[in-house]
Parts: sequence; structure tokens; C-alpha cells
Amino acid sequence: MVSLFERIDPRSPTPLYAQIAARVSVAIAAGELQPGEALPSVRHLATQLRVNPATVVQAYRDLEADGFVEIRHGAGTFVRELGPGRRARERARQATALVRALLADARRLGVPLAELQEAIQEEIGVYSP
Amino acid sequence: MFRAILFSQWKWSRLIVALGAVAGFALPIVSLQGAAAADRSPLQVESLLRVVQSWGTLYPVLAAALGLLVAMATWAPDHRGRHVHALSLPLPRWRYALLRFGAGVTVLAAPIVAVLLGALLATTAATIPAGLQTYPIALALRFALALLVAYAVFFAISAGTARTAGIILGAIAALIVVQIVAGVANVELGLPDRLQMLVLNWPGPLAVFTGRWMLLDV
Amino acid sequence: MTDAIALQDLRYRAGKGFELKPLTLHVPTGSIYGFLGPNGSGKTTTIRLILGLLRPLSGRITVLGGTMPAEAPRILARVGYVPEQAHLDATLTVRETLRFQAPFYRTWDWPRAEQLLAQFRLADDRPFGRLSKGEKAKLMILLALAQRGELLVLDEPTDGLDPVVRRDILAALLEYVSQQGATVFISSHLVHELERICDWVAVLDDGRLVTEVPMVQLKNGTKRLRVRGAPVDLVPPPFVILARESENGGSAETWVVRDWQPEMAPYFDGIGAALQDVIDLDLEDGFVELLRTFRTPHA
Repeated sequence: MVSLFERIDPRSPTPLYAQIAARVSVAIAAGELQPGEALPSVRHLATQLRVNPATVVQAYRDLEADGFVEIRHGAGTFVRELGPGRRARERARQATALVRALLADARRLGVPLAELQEAIQEEIGVYSP
Repeated sequence: MFRAILFSQWKWSRLIVALGAVAGFALPIVSLQGAAAADRSPLQVESLLRVVQSWGTLYPVLAAALGLLVAMATWAPDHRGRHVHALSLPLPRWRYALLRFGAGVTVLAAPIVAVLLGALLATTAATIPAGLQTYPIALALRFALALLVAYAVFFAISAGTARTAGIILGAIAALIVVQIVAGVANVELGLPDRLQMLVLNWPGPLAVFTGRWMLLDV
Repeated sequence: MTDAIALQDLRYRAGKGFELKPLTLHVPTGSIYGFLGPNGSGKTTTIRLILGLLRPLSGRITVLGGTMPAEAPRILARVGYVPEQAHLDATLTVRETLRFQAPFYRTWDWPRAEQLLAQFRLADDRPFGRLSKGEKAKLMILLALAQRGELLVLDEPTDGLDPVVRRDILAALLEYVSQQGATVFISSHLVHELERICDWVAVLDDGRLVTEVPMVQLKNGTKRLRVRGAPVDLVPPPFVILARESENGGSAETWVVRDWQPEMAPYFDGIGAALQDVIDLDLEDGFVELLRTFRTPHA
């Protein structure tokens, strides 16, 4: 479960709690985390990732506010059942975020849009069966 | 708390204390070696007293040395850590110093008891010439007092930083230098003499060290 | 009471070489507070003042609601301290050191001490003087955690240690914090280490406070901007310019700014310039830039 968070990057300007919450919401949207499944305890995750426990608490609270998980006091944090529509929407949201980051990088490097599109298509061609 | 400090005190000073106890036990016995010889003339009694008296000079020396070494061992762990650890402990400094002092006094009980036992053993084993009295308990008490005074003085000196100790030693050295220079210039200052009078004569703090330390006397 | 540590206009002087300029700090209760600064900037001196080991020239030190150094004994019972250099009795073994320490603290937690002893794989019977540097550091942390303080003050706790030991120590620390909810005040010049765990950061340089901000603000607000065609004399911007350098003498410039927000981009249209890029800085970059501009105040 902790491997889910392997690529948390403390140097990124995205706050760590947002990174952790994003990982969990993606995993839920992708079906990697099943409804009813327990998330690691705050203490366990904070120790493993070597981050401030408050960071994990904040990530879980944000996930709860967004309806992804349910915090049962004394018991832990559990994945909630999401409708297929909600999951699809979440995936779309993540896809948009990825593309935005990609476009920002391309702009920085001066890669024209057409070449970027070409590269994307080529990669999809290579990797799709 | 006291047990914890006593334990660290013991670890640092056990060798000193053990040696001191052995020396303290042996000293009265050795000093009365000749007394075992049977009846003697008044002349021999006089020489016996002289022997006892010359051995007697070792008691204050032993007390001073033990006091110095144990006082140093008392502060050694704190000096090593530049007192940081002691100062970060949650108790007032005076209480900590008191605990340290008490731990040193406690381990010093061993050589005091050793002197007492040695003196008792020596006086019961020896054949004492007529007209002479033994003073084992008085001697042991005096040893105890001298030891505590020596320990307290050195404890106070080494309680401070190396700098404080340096200042005190420096002052003593300066006094000696002044005296020597004055001696060379033939000026009679009598500084040390006056100081000596003040410190060594009753009721000076070190009076207990002076005089005759007699296990046997008239 | 919301501050675990509060320093108010604290002044201190050590000889002629070093001086703390009036220093004001606030460490919120429950935070992990990173105290950054180059070597010799006064971090250790500040920590010693906080613990009542030194007396300030003037100013007020409040720790866990009590005044230092007047109430030191009572407050120190609730503070775990790991000094920069371990200073324990070298002749005592690990086990004896624990036994020495325990009676001084009413809150001492033997089960935790035993658990950490096992977790850190420390040999009971080895004298402190013969432990490796990493083992000494682990033992110091162990003592502070087993004492169950509400406030932990750690002075460069992982300086000079190998990565494995560093990880063990940080993990034990974080586990403790998530169980006990303690406040942690941790000084370091290893910026990366603090980046993961701190929610507040203060930067000290040459006895002066450079900044004290929530980590998120420091990390998110400090940016490098690539700007083209900006005039020499600027309309006062809504952010703080820490540094401004031109690239190869052309009209392209690099700015390092603080308190930046994306909504501020239109400012550049207003001065007839073009904002070409906004580059994120991590904590270390931000730290270096902060120090650089702090040391050479520009016009």
C-alpha cells in the first residue's frame, strides 16, 4: 500500500498533503483501491514516508471532504463507494492535470504544439497493443 | 535520583576508594608494628611514640589525597560533557550539586570505616605499654573530619569551570611568587605565614590537618 | 496558549565575535518547526537560551507557558533535548545511562525505551564512550523520546550521520509525534531533511532572523521569473523582488521573488514587459536565494 506513495516529491511546489491526496484519489478512480479498503494509519504512513503526521492528516481530511474516504474515529480511514460516473470524472480531472503539466513543460522547452501532438500519437501507437 | 548519581559516582571513583580503604586500613596497623614487643623501658616507650607520630603524618596526607581525587571524580562526568547534560536535567542547580556532593561523601564512608577498623584492630592486637592510652575512635573521627574538609574544599574548586580552578591555582601561585621575590629582595612580608596562621590555626578551616595524629599517646 | 516557544526581542552576546540581534520567534504548539541557518549563524546559541542554559542580555523567553530561565527546572521536565554533541557519562553503559536518566523524569516511559532500544539495535552493555557516532545519536533521541516530553528540541540531530541512521532517527521521531502530538523544534543546515517534515520554517543568519513562515508559504511563494523588456525603474510590484539579474546583458532578465501568486501575472502587462516563465524553487533554492539577498541588500 505504501508503494502507492513511492513517488511523493518533497521538493515539488505542490504541497505534500495534496500529492498524497492526489495519489489516493487516482488509485480510487482507477479501481486500484476498492471500496471498504482501509488506508494506512496516519502514524504508519507518516513514518514510512518520513513526513509530518499533520501532512497525512490533512491529506485524509481533504479526501474525506471530497467524498473519497470516510474517517471512522478510532478505527481508521476507509475508501468509500463511488458511482462509476464520479470515478470517470475523477479520471478525467487527473488526465487534464497531466496534460496541463505537459503543456507547461513543452512551452518552457519551446516545443511546438504540433510536434507535441505528433509525439503523443507516436507514443500511444507504440504502447497500445 | 540520588541512587542514579551515586551509581555514576561509584563507577568513576571505585578504584580510588578501594585503594584509599586499603591504605586507611593498613596505616594504623603498620604504625603499631613495634608495639607488639613486650615490656619496654621508658626510653623505648618514647621511641614508640616517635614512630607512631611519624606514621601519623600520613593520615592528613591520605585524607587530602582522597578528598582531592574523589572530588575530581565527582565532577568528572559533568566536566566531560561541559556540564550541558547536568544543566539540561529538570532540577535546580543547587540540588544537583548537593546530590553530587552527597554521592561523594557516601563513597568516602568506605575509607573512614577502614581507618576505624584498622585502628581498632591494631590497638586490640598490640600489647600497649603501661601508661599509654589508645585513641582509635578519636583518630578515625579526626580522619573523617579531615577527609570531609579536604573533599568539600576540592569539590567547591572543581565544581566551577576549568577557568575558576585556574584562577584559584593562579592566585596561590602568585602568592608563592610574591613571597620568593620578596625573599630574594630580603623584604620580610610574612604573607604566607600570616595566611598560614589564619588557615591552619584554630578556628581556621584547615586546622584539623595540623598537629599530631596519635593512635597512641600518654 | 498557542506557542510552545516564544522569544521576544531576545538579545545575547558571546565575547566580541558573536551577537544575537533582537530575535523574535513563535513556535506554534503541535508544529514541527525547522530552524535553518548556516553553521555559526547562532542556532545552537538560540537553543541554549531557549533551554535556560544561557542567560540573555535582555528579552523574554517563554517555553510551554513558563519563563526561562527562571522556571527552568519545572519546564525542563517537559522538554526533551538532543544537543549537537552528545555529552553523556562515557563510562556508563547504554542500560546504565537509561537508569541514570529515568529517575529525573516523572513521565519516563520504560516500555517505549525498551522498544526503541530494540528498534535501534543498541547493545545494552556497551559503554557510551565506545558507541559509534550513529549509535550515540540514536541513544540521545531515545532518551528524549522515552522521557515523553511535550516539546522536543533537537540541535542538528542527524548532522554527519549516514543515511540509514538518519532515516531510523527521523522515523522514530515522526512515530512519536503522531502518537503524542508533541511540538518539535529542530535545527539543521540540511535543508532537504526539513523539507519533508516541517510545517514552519525560520531562517537565521549571523544572529539575525531572515524569515519565519509556514513551510507552504515559503515553498509556494518563492519563484524564479523569466521576464523580458522590463523597465529599469519599476512601478512597485505586489510581490517582493529578492534578486534581479539580466541574462547576457540583454533585455531578458531573471527575477527571484517572494510572496508570488499566479494572479499577479497582469502586473507585467502593466509595466510593458512580458512574463515568459514562472519556475518553482524548492526549499534549498529558496533558502539560498533568501540568504543571498539578505546578505547583500540591493537598492
